[in-house]
Amino acid sequence: MTQRKRGGPLQGVRVVELTKVWAGPYVGKLLSFLGAEVIRVESLESLDVTRTFGVADINKAPGFQAVNPQKLSVQIDMKQPQGIALLKDLLARADIVVENLRPGAVRRLGLGYEAVRQVKPDIVYVSMGMWGSEGPLAYQTGYAPCFAALGGVSLLVGYEGEAPAGMNVRYADSTFGAAAAYAATVALLHRRRTGVGQFVDVSAVECMTSMIGDTVMESLLKGTVPLGRGNRHPDMAPHGVYPCREGEWISIAAAGDADWARLCEAMGQPGLAQDTRFRDLAARKAAEDELDRRLAAWTAGRDAAGLAAELQGRGLAAARSQSSVDLVADPHLWGNGFFREVHTSEGEARSIVGPSWKMTREAAIGAAAPRLGEHNAYVLGEILGLSPERQRELAEAGVAR
Amino acid sequence: MSALRPYRVLELSESVAGEYCGKLLADFGAEVIKLEKPGEGSPTRRLGPFAGTGEALERSGLFAYLNTNKRSVSLDPADPAAAETLRRLLERVDVVIDDHAPGWLKGIGLDPQAFSAAWPRLLLCSITPYGQTPPEDRRHAQDLNVFHASGWGYHTPTGADESRPPLNGAGRFLPSYEAALDSAMCIVAALYEREGSGQGQFIEVSAQQVLASRVDYVLGQMVAGDMDVSTRRNALDLFGPAGIFRCRDGYAYIWMSAPSHWDGLRQLLGDPEWMKAFPERWLERECTPPRVAECRRHIAAWLATQDKEPVAAEAQKLGLTLVPVNSAEDLKGSPQYRHRGYFAELEHPVLGRSLYPTVPYKLSETPARLESPAPLLGQDTDRLLAGEGA
Repeated sequence: MTQRKRGGPLQGVRVVELTKVWAGPYVGKLLSFLGAEVIRVESLESLDVTRTFGVADINKAPGFQAVNPQKLSVQIDMKQPQGIALLKDLLARADIVVENLRPGAVRRLGLGYEAVRQVKPDIVYVSMGMWGSEGPLAYQTGYAPCFAALGGVSLLVGYEGEAPAGMNVRYADSTFGAAAAYAATVALLHRRRTGVGQFVDVSAVECMTSMIGDTVMESLLKGTVPLGRGNRHPDMAPHGVYPCREGEWISIAAAGDADWARLCEAMGQPGLAQDTRFRDLAARKAAEDELDRRLAAWTAGRDAAGLAAELQGRGLAAARSQSSVDLVADPHLWGNGFFREVHTSEGEARSIVGPSWKMTREAAIGAAAPRLGEHNAYVLGEILGLSPERQRELAEAGVAR
Repeated sequence: MSALRPYRVLELSESVAGEYCGKLLADFGAEVIKLEKPGEGSPTRRLGPFAGTGEALERSGLFAYLNTNKRSVSLDPADPAAAETLRRLLERVDVVIDDHAPGWLKGIGLDPQAFSAAWPRLLLCSITPYGQTPPEDRRHAQDLNVFHASGWGYHTPTGADESRPPLNGAGRFLPSYEAALDSAMCIVAALYEREGSGQGQFIEVSAQQVLASRVDYVLGQMVAGDMDVSTRRNALDLFGPAGIFRCRDGYAYIWMSAPSHWDGLRQLLGDPEWMKAFPERWLERECTPPRVAECRRHIAAWLATQDKEPVAAEAQKLGLTLVPVNSAEDLKGSPQYRHRGYFAELEHPVLGRSLYPTVPYKLSETPARLESPAPLLGQDTDRLLAGEGA
């Protein structure tokens, strides 16, 4: 199987995922994009909902396929003692295990850190929980928007003077996953140098707080309670999103007086730059309602992409606010290899969201998400060294089908 | 012992993405040497929040937050007179982090295509809004623009009123923090590889791509043709009564998607009449806009009489996912944050003693630590350049 020699910085690293939905699988996705061999352990008895959501065929679930490219799947029944024993054999041959099951679930399964450490003393064990694995609130559960609400993010998103509106409902899981993946690489590097594994305990709520660290710092230093302020920014004006034709919007940010002067020229009103009401940042902040009204009147009816290009030509920070159709048609994202094609084991081509990075020696990414248990033979035969007879017995007993 | 203690990082960054990336490494013990223009310092020193009194360049809470555990050396890497010192520094470091526009590195003698000839073990990481080869119409960007180019902006908030502008997410620098996370991960992965190969490499991260990849669950379905794309502002939304509601003392977020949530709500409200008119399993099967509106109306009326913390604690016990919408002040008082030690105290010579946010992951063997406050401008210049002929 060529996929195990894909290159990339983490080639040779084996990751076992006991994960569900999005945040946990996102960790495996990033590590697999870096070259690791990522094996999802799945149970037909306790399937990831993203395998079943809205589809009849669990091997063709779009959501699952979006987050699990380039991974392997082994189907092991974790409700049977034999399944747990098999899984422990696999963990004994793994470098990293990632789990985001419900609080306490891995311990009930006999797969907590202490138990896994017995079979693999230097394992890097990544545990993901809404509040982390221990503490007075660790028993609580929630979904991504709960992380954002609890972590201080939602309160900061909203129109000035109104109730908080919050981030888009999809925000939080993947950020949680990215933070866990970073921590996993740090622990992995430490193990490579010292031979010592460890327990990595990641809190989704804290991940959210880290995305607004400077705002939290402000509160800690000054005792203020920052709230949503629309699209405004304390250090820039104008700084906003303005209407264009046919429901399009453009984001424009002027970082200083020179930017403002260039924007006035673009608007065909160079004299405005000398107008005392808008002369410097303090003045523009004080007259921001008027400033935004003038800008919105100017942008209205224009083509967002064309206007962004025109402003860019003058050295200004502007970008169209991209809809989903803009995004999948973004030639730069295709040209840069961000959107790319992979293939299923049946040879069917499929486009995926690729890595955010490029590097000199990167991992090849060519495989689509696995069918349930697609790699049982590889995992049981090649990794665990079980004979075909033994594999058949396990299949017949429903332990690994 | 901290995991990244053996590594030395040269930080050329002058904005939040690169400085936060350096911080992610420094908080795990890497020695991060920040180059700052003499007398001027990093531009983040001139961004608020400001506190304390005294030297203007040392009063930024933003700089203090982003630069914990780092060293500061006064040296302008773009100054030709500094070229020799820079060259010697490059010989002593494992990693370079930069967040200037594409082309800037080449200008200071660190051509991404060629630096490995002179420094074969060096890892060079460049973080930019759109990668190393942006099209003509994407040369200039602030975080606001990146957020909107990535698709998040257009779809924020959920349930948008199409007549009002889409919103710029939370805080000033969320796109930069996100980009820094992927960058730090790539750097550490590349250090892992270098332990074996002995080779450095060039890493480039695009903030637009980082943010767009954060919605891969949906965007991946769209790009594969499994989900419709459109110009709708609610194209990423989930539908149902979930949302933020006003409480007596703030706001709470309630999530409802499954029968167990509905049952939890029923118990919490004492089986009210209005719920009886809803079909069982309506959330999954018959989640019509009028039902959603009616359900939200009742929830709003009820939550307006509740305090966020107690009602959330009660709801959690009944299996209903209802949580308070916290402020930074609430988090400061959170028993869970206290238990995990999320905030740590540091004494800064100008800003004084303060709590700082730490990191969202606890590593049992190599925990991240806040050991020293952000450096004063150039405080380590003499010590670190001694013998460098500077």
